[in-house]
Order: sequence, then structure tokens, then C-alpha cells
Amino acid sequence: MGLLDYKFESSNVFITSLENLLNWARLSSLFQMQFGLACCAIEMMAASASNFDIMRFGVIPRATPRQTDVMIVAGTVTLKMASRIKRLYDQMAEPRYVISMGSCSNCGGPYWEHGYHVLKGVDRVIPVDVYVPGCPPRPEALLEGIMKLQEKVRKESMSKKAHKA
Amino acid sequence: MTSQEIQDTLKSKFGDAVLESKLDAQQPWIKIATNKAKSIGFFLRDEPSLQFDFMSCLSGVDYNDGSLGIVYHLYSMVHKHKIVLKASCTKDNPHIQSVSDVWGTANWHEREAFDMFGIYFDEHPDLRRILCPDDYPGFPLRKDFKVPEFYNGMKVPY
Amino acid sequence: MLTEFGKILIFLILGAVFVAGGLIASWILRPNRPYPEKLRPYECGEEPVGNAWVRFNIRFYVIALIFLIFDVEVVFLFPWALVFRQLGLFAFVEMGVFLLILIVGFAYVWVKGDLDWDKPKPVIPQVNRPMKLVQQTPQEASV
Repeated sequence: MGLLDYKFESSNVFITSLENLLNWARLSSLFQMQFGLACCAIEMMAASASNFDIMRFGVIPRATPRQTDVMIVAGTVTLKMASRIKRLYDQMAEPRYVISMGSCSNCGGPYWEHGYHVLKGVDRVIPVDVYVPGCPPRPEALLEGIMKLQEKVRKESMSKKAHKA
Repeated sequence: MTSQEIQDTLKSKFGDAVLESKLDAQQPWIKIATNKAKSIGFFLRDEPSLQFDFMSCLSGVDYNDGSLGIVYHLYSMVHKHKIVLKASCTKDNPHIQSVSDVWGTANWHEREAFDMFGIYFDEHPDLRRILCPDDYPGFPLRKDFKVPEFYNGMKVPY
Repeated sequence: MLTEFGKILIFLILGAVFVAGGLIASWILRPNRPYPEKLRPYECGEEPVGNAWVRFNIRFYVIALIFLIFDVEVVFLFPWALVFRQLGLFAFVEMGVFLLILIVGFAYVWVKGDLDWDKPKPVIPQVNRPMKLVQQTPQEASV
């Protein structure tokens, strides 16, 4: 049972420094659930490889949603896969974030007009925190997306009654 | 063997099942009757002078005049010749005999043709949808297909 | 000023404090918002089907049993090794007899096949057409 979760209205100095510590710990070790579906997965693999090295940001790929903080949806989301994505997102533990990588998961991508089996944007099933544009985005773009997510985590408050959409 | 010889060999065995052909096209094709597809397939595969042991592709077609069709691309590894077979059926009665006993790769290709066009393959061991979900409404690659508005609570069009 | 047992007690207390402190700190700080979809068993995104308990190969039990017996034998060897020098030849012969009895048991287990691990037997699929037609092209056959 979270004792301090969503309890306070305003911040005080003790909770603030604890929050800073907690947020710093969380943003430095965002374990990712790699969701490489299509071509963007290759760029995500390139980002994990030695030249761009996502691991120096603390991002380690884990296969199961129970142990991950961020789900990087990389690639085209079909309607068949969308129900599985929803279920896996539900099975992730808070605090959880979603990075939508590439045009296909942002808005349907090149299949927006005639795609009969493509979900036009993964934000139709799960809430997305960071959108990384590109088709596919360069590994540096994915790294910037992760850095933007880190900035968002830095400002999070664990005890204030926040309106989480 | 040239495509004329292939057609002659085929006609000598199955005279009435060979319907029409166009042998001067870039890919010479022979049209066959749909209910004899399996026996023609066995003959093409096992006859020593033909030996079409490799089916490169099996595709579905919607001819937009009320008929659907299947196109088989066959290749012989031994003799190194190829031929294209065509079979067609109407939209009201979309049944074609399956050739998955002849060439094993036809199993999945016929499932894809069923999934996309709605062509039912008789005597297929496992005919079900392969790419779209099992409860997807309609057959997507038909010319008169309308994209569904909602699927399982998700809005499909942009 | 503390007895030896007192030092071990301090050790135990500190260990318990470390573990409990970590658990209590995380209990205070973590969010806990369970809902039914989150608590479902994980099955790669599909609806979970069937029982989560699977049947084990019985071989694991057999191997564990044999390991336990010989592990206890090794445990007996340790204090014997410490006082071996003082006891001399008598201890050597006695331990040899003990080991001999256990080696007989070991040989029995080995010969009976309890130490073998099942190798998978590959199933070669049967094709329903004569393979010999494609081994030789007509050009090769005529040469």
C-alpha cells in the first residue's frame, strides 16, 4: 500500500528532496520493454548497439512488462496487435511511460489513407508520453525522445494529487 | 521445354481441362479448369519431362467483373523452365480445389488468398485466416471492400 | 566485551534491519494501484489460457536425489579431513571403506541409466513424392 502516494496538496521541503532523489533514480534507470514491430525495430536495435548505445542512459531491454518502466512502441501497430498492446500496457507496473517511435505508431504513417488493418496511431489504445517522429527515426532521434522522457520524469511528483490523464 | 511443348503435354493428358492460354506474353500462362487443379498439379509435378517441383507463388486476383481467380507460378529446378497457371471462379461460388497436397508451400499461400479474397479451397487441411484477425469483417483485397468504421472498439479510418 | 555469540547476534540483527528497511522504504514510496487487468497472469499479451502449473520431467527429481546423497557424503568428508593427520592409517582405511560402499551405489546408479539425460529424437518428416527424380538432371544422367 503506497503510504505517500497521491496524498498531499502542496509540497514541503522533505518530500521535495525525496522526490528529487526518487525521480533521479527513476529517470536514470528506465528499463524498456522493447516493442519492435516493424522497420523501426531495426533503428531501435541500432540505438541499442555500440555506436549510439542506449544503455548509457540506463535503458536496459527487459522482455516482460512486469519489470519495465517504459514501452517503446516501434513499428506499425496492426489491429490484431492492438489488443495485445493494451493488455501488456495494463500489465506494466506504475510508474509507466510510453514512447511512440516512428510515424506508424504516431499516426498510422504511410498507411493512414488505405490501411485496412493498421491502427492509425498507438495512442488510440494506450496513452503516449513522447512521440518520436521519423520513418524511421534516426537512433539519435530516439535518444532525444528518451531524454525528453527523462525531463518529464524529472518534473514528476509522487505525492501531489496530480491529474494523470 | 518451351511453353508450347508444356501446353501440348498438358493437353494430351487433360484435353478439356485446359481452357485457354497466352504463350507469347512475357510470362506465358495457361488457364485450367478449377475442379481439376489438384490432378493437374500432380501431373505437372511428377511427369519426368515437366517436373515442376517448385511453386514460386500462388496469388489471388479480383478481376472486377464478378470473378475471382488464382495465379500459380511454377518452376522446375531440374529442367529450369517455368509456367504460369490461372484458374478462376465467380464471386457467388468462390470454390477452387486446393493444391496443398502437391506443393507444401501452397498451404499458407492458399490461406492468404482465402484471407484476402474469400476464395474457399476445397480439401485444404487447415483453411483459416492467416494475416487478418479471425473475426475481421470482410475480405480486404476485394475491389468492393469497405473499410469498417470500428473494429473491437478501435476506430479504423484516419 | 561481547561473546562470540553476541557478535553473531549483532550480525543477524543488522541483516534483518537492512532487509526490513529496504522493504519498508519501498512500501512507503511506491505507488500501488491494482486493477483486474493488471493482475492477470502474463501470457505475452494474449488472454491467459489454461493452468499455470506445468508438469516437470521426473528426471529432475532423480538427479536431485542422487546429488543429495553424494553431497551428504562430501559433508562427512570435511571433518574427517581436518583430523586426518592425528588419526593416521586407521582413519584412512575406515574412510576408504565408507567411500567404497558409496562407490558401489554410484556404479549401480550409473549402469542403471539414472544419470543419463534424455536426448531429443529428431523426427525426419516423410515427403510423399519420389526424391530420386530430382537428384540428377537429364544432362548429368547422360554424361
